[in-house]
Amino acid sequence: METYNYSDLKILEERNSFYKKLLFQSPDLIFQFSITKDGALTFPFLSKSVLTHFDLSPEEKYLDAFTILKSRIHPDDFDLFIQSIQKSKSNLKEWSHEFRAILPQKGLKWFKGFATVEKDERNTVHFFGKITDISSFKLQELQLKVSEQRFSFALEASSEGIWDLDVKANTVFYSSQSMKMLGFEAKDTIESINLWDDRVHPDDKNKYLNDIQLHIVNKTPFYENAQRVMTLSGEYKWILSRGKIIERDSNNKPLRIIGTHTDISAQKAKEHQLLTTLEIASEQNSRLLNFAHIVSHNLRSHSGNIEMLLNIISDETDEDFIKESFDHLKTSSKALSQTIVHLKELVEIQSELVQKKENLNLNTFLGKTLDILGEEIKKNKVIIQNKLNKNQTIVFNPAYLESILLNFTSNAIRYSHPDRTPVIRYSLTSNKQHKILEIEDNGLGINLEKHGKKIFGMYKTFHKHKDSRGIGLFITKNQIEAMGGKVDVTSKVGIGTTFKIYFYD
Amino acid sequence: MIKFKDVFVIDDDKVFHFIIKKLFSKNNIDINPSFYMNGLEAIEEIKDKISNGVTMPDLILLDINMPIMDGWQFLDEFRKTKKTTEGGKTIIYLVSSSDSISDINKAKEYQDQVKDYFFKPMTLDDLRKIF
Repeated sequence: METYNYSDLKILEERNSFYKKLLFQSPDLIFQFSITKDGALTFPFLSKSVLTHFDLSPEEKYLDAFTILKSRIHPDDFDLFIQSIQKSKSNLKEWSHEFRAILPQKGLKWFKGFATVEKDERNTVHFFGKITDISSFKLQELQLKVSEQRFSFALEASSEGIWDLDVKANTVFYSSQSMKMLGFEAKDTIESINLWDDRVHPDDKNKYLNDIQLHIVNKTPFYENAQRVMTLSGEYKWILSRGKIIERDSNNKPLRIIGTHTDISAQKAKEHQLLTTLEIASEQNSRLLNFAHIVSHNLRSHSGNIEMLLNIISDETDEDFIKESFDHLKTSSKALSQTIVHLKELVEIQSELVQKKENLNLNTFLGKTLDILGEEIKKNKVIIQNKLNKNQTIVFNPAYLESILLNFTSNAIRYSHPDRTPVIRYSLTSNKQHKILEIEDNGLGINLEKHGKKIFGMYKTFHKHKDSRGIGLFITKNQIEAMGGKVDVTSKVGIGTTFKIYFYD
Repeated sequence: MIKFKDVFVIDDDKVFHFIIKKLFSKNNIDINPSFYMNGLEAIEEIKDKISNGVTMPDLILLDINMPIMDGWQFLDEFRKTKKTTEGGKTIIYLVSSSDSISDINKAKEYQDQVKDYFFKPMTLDDLRKIF
């Protein structure tokens, strides 16, 4: 027989009280659950909290284990619950299982059970463990899941990509959408930051890096930058990248930055289109203004002469002087008429009446032009290099085409270089929208830095040439633009000039 | 009335040369101006004068729109020339058919060189302002 002395008893009593407290005051349900060799289920021990956990009345506590379980566990989870018990019973490994219960008062609740499993010498298996109410965690988990799903759906719908930069590792999580934007397989990827950085357009890179830096040093509440990024196929896409530092270390250095990628290429294209339209409108506007000034200037200069001449001959008797004055009057009146003809030509171009387009053989028209200028070509020993395809056609107004070819060709002859044989070369290329006629000469060339903006202005001349009046290019440009085309010029002083005429195809 | 001896008229319009000559004689302005068809012709003459130590023109009537070297380019070039000759400053008037705001504003930028801007046709009043 064992004997205890007083102090031993005291210790035992204290221990007992401690365990009692643990059992009664723990919010978890502490249990012992046993399955005998014959398969009978019992709860040899259930802590008091079973009453609150499972809404059991004190009487129900004494019902058989199976009945208790069956009455509380959610019908959809009951089979799985039993299976998990069976499994632990057979392999004697610890039991861990989540399940739902439907309780008379509290309704649906989530529980998690955990137990160690032992088999005794009578082949009865005992589960010693606890059951915890995890409903609040489950609710949070569910809410998180819903919010994640909502977020992921919103991202998919908006086609935004997500990036998540781990600053220390210098790696970035790129969402499938981000990868897709660059033409990669649409798969979430963790890659070096260089995957993106190396693809940013060189012209956008400095601002891109600078904008991130501004956010890192807290100068901006978030990072935002629109950048051109090269896709796998080598094309550039405009992508708006935005982000925010979500974690910093104790030195305030960023650890993690999360952000989005939005493909704004379509927006940028529209913006570009709008700008082009604005440029055209503003160019047309300035052309109109220029036109108005020229009308005023040229009319005033000739009519002013006429007025002054009439004034000075009014009381004149000297026959010779009167005769000379009349000659000048004639000159001025002729110049006035010529100005009005030029103005009329320009007004006609602006009106739609003469903007008739036909399918024209370019080669035939060039032949005609060269015939008209035959004498000039011969006199100046001009070499014509016609690289045009024999059957090349363009859709254009015939009168304009004639005038354009005549103008550019006669200009090339007029401004040929005195030290060498003039060569004029005609060729045609095309792009998506235009057929492009190139007229290249080896003449004097034009200083475009100095005159670039006003080269097609009226009465602007750039050569130290006595005949230059400059009206030709002004009319030519208007004719080309009226047909939906455009004209470009490249030139080097002393080397030559190339005009490119874009015919809208 | 006559304060000027050496007068330049720089204008590409020969009719205007004729008119000026006649306007002068009709108004008893006993001046035989030198005519130039553009800025370059005039600036070359001025450089010649400088290298020969001859006095500069005391009056220039300057057109704006001219081929080869326009009025503005002439003013820029004229500013650059080293006028070593003694005597008064050359007085320059712009005489142009242009009434564009940009030309009028540009004339203000040159106001240290340009005394006034006359629109063509020139009137007697304009002449009286000059002489």
